[in-house]
Amino acid sequence: MTHRSVEVPVIARVEGEGALHLKVDGNEIIDLRLEIYEPPRYFESFLRGRHFSEVPDITARICGICPVAYQMSSIHGFEELFGVEVPEGTRELRRLLYLGEWIESHTLHIFLLAAPDFLGMHDAIEMAAAEPVLVKKALAIKRLGNDMMAAIGGREIHPVSPRVGGFSKAPRMRDLEGFVGRLEDALAELPGIADFAAGLQVPELPRETEMVGMTHPDEYAIVEGGMASTSGRVFPVAEFETITYEEHVEHSNALHSVMTDTGAPYFVGPLARYNLNEAQLTPVARDCARRLGLSVPQMDPFFSMAARVAELAYSIEDALRLLRAYEPPDPPFVEVTPRAGRATWATEAPRGTLYHRYDVDDEGIVLEAKIVPPTAQNLRRMEEDLRQFVPSVLDRPDEELTRLCEMVVRNYDPCISCATHFLRLDIQRG
Amino acid sequence: MNRVRVIGCGNPDAGDDALGLLAVRSARDRVPEAVEVIEAGTSARVIDLLSDVDAVVLVDAVRSAGAATDGGVIRLVAVGGEVLLGVRTSLSSHGLGLAEMLGLAAALGPLPHVVFLGLEADHVAMGSGLSAPVAAGLPALVDAVVAEARALAEKPVP
Repeated sequence: MTHRSVEVPVIARVEGEGALHLKVDGNEIIDLRLEIYEPPRYFESFLRGRHFSEVPDITARICGICPVAYQMSSIHGFEELFGVEVPEGTRELRRLLYLGEWIESHTLHIFLLAAPDFLGMHDAIEMAAAEPVLVKKALAIKRLGNDMMAAIGGREIHPVSPRVGGFSKAPRMRDLEGFVGRLEDALAELPGIADFAAGLQVPELPRETEMVGMTHPDEYAIVEGGMASTSGRVFPVAEFETITYEEHVEHSNALHSVMTDTGAPYFVGPLARYNLNEAQLTPVARDCARRLGLSVPQMDPFFSMAARVAELAYSIEDALRLLRAYEPPDPPFVEVTPRAGRATWATEAPRGTLYHRYDVDDEGIVLEAKIVPPTAQNLRRMEEDLRQFVPSVLDRPDEELTRLCEMVVRNYDPCISCATHFLRLDIQRG
Repeated sequence: MNRVRVIGCGNPDAGDDALGLLAVRSARDRVPEAVEVIEAGTSARVIDLLSDVDAVVLVDAVRSAGAATDGGVIRLVAVGGEVLLGVRTSLSSHGLGLAEMLGLAAALGPLPHVVFLGLEADHVAMGSGLSAPVAAGLPALVDAVVAEARALAEKPVP
């Protein structure tokens, strides 16, 4: 085998969205580049000059799958800067909304993206034909997460109800009580889902890396907390841009995150969170982890699927806890008086840590915005994983090699094409 | 009266990709009251919206290789999922497109009668509005959405 070139377009026919370029000579990788288009870059400039109260709605539009993550990182950042104290009920309702997003996003990835890969199937459609009962159950759980987001967020897409200071309108208990039974039904499926996932043929990619995520003393960190890593770092979110560094990469417009002191890539996402916060998981989540052979420490990225299943169980259990004790926050929102300064906050989006920073003037107008999404932080790590993985599968034909590379990338659940979602139409006549 | 749902897909900030959302928003006040109109955003949500109805009108921007149009409007009827053209996997959960969602629904059970209406996209980029050709075609698309929804609500579903 001599020169060989594999191009995996991430999104066909949409320019600038990214791709994987791979060139090998024999068993040597000559070129390996993962290019992923990142909508947040555009939003950073778009946010300049905007009033802080507009920011949550604007940032929610960055991603159709995780609008809540973008809203929550910005809302909390401003509240901390402006010294806003929200009632406990607001805090719990926000967590419940965020858990809806985790449920939806994790289910989507586990069943529609990752599982078909590990079953050696072309896609979720093929899997649905082979496992219709399972896929129907999965879609019901995904829908449950979506419906929670719509009921609490006040709208089908891009929740409108969360705002700096609370919620413009808080749902009543009777708006939410129907979710208790649905969540209980979903939870009952989780051990079976874990057993299904445990039976999948998942590759191995043993390697060491530093895994980074949030921690909180009282709960599995999602909406608030400090930063920590599996190498023992503990630092406040305000130091995020000092501890990590975004390196400009010659070959693409993307920025690659590395640890500032070591220059090494790091890893964010469900598996990082599991390694850091396993002790705070709930009973069914721990049972799922056990069924999946997951324990701390686990650095193989292909255990991300197992961590996602455990977190899905956790999300359902924690949502049940919050719903059973739910009382609408009173008042639904508190008044906010802006002041000049720097707001920084991070939350744990389904894909990993999502960092926001805003510099605002004394009227609350944004002077500068910085958004570091989880996929951007994982890009360098994905490339390194591919560099390690590709030589072991170079004997495979192009088509299979392509599929295996896609699998390594897809395992990260990257947020690639939030920007567009065309119906790609190839007319076949015959 | 048939139960009809009109679903617009799109990203409001990405040029012509906003088309589906804008079209169903404009059509909302002109369709029969019983017709449900939803601005669904990502197509991953569409899979949840295909049950409990007799007919669905899906509205989105399209990149086709020169699909036939009626006054610029592309109209496709999916019977039993056979319009699942260009189905392909994607690396991203956001890339689960409309075709994939229809295919998935069809694999799991009978689909409602699905009519797709859209325009050929011309320009897609974050932060831009509709391109001139798509903006010019929008009224015809809205008319087509209204006519389709009325016909499906009032006449027997084919």
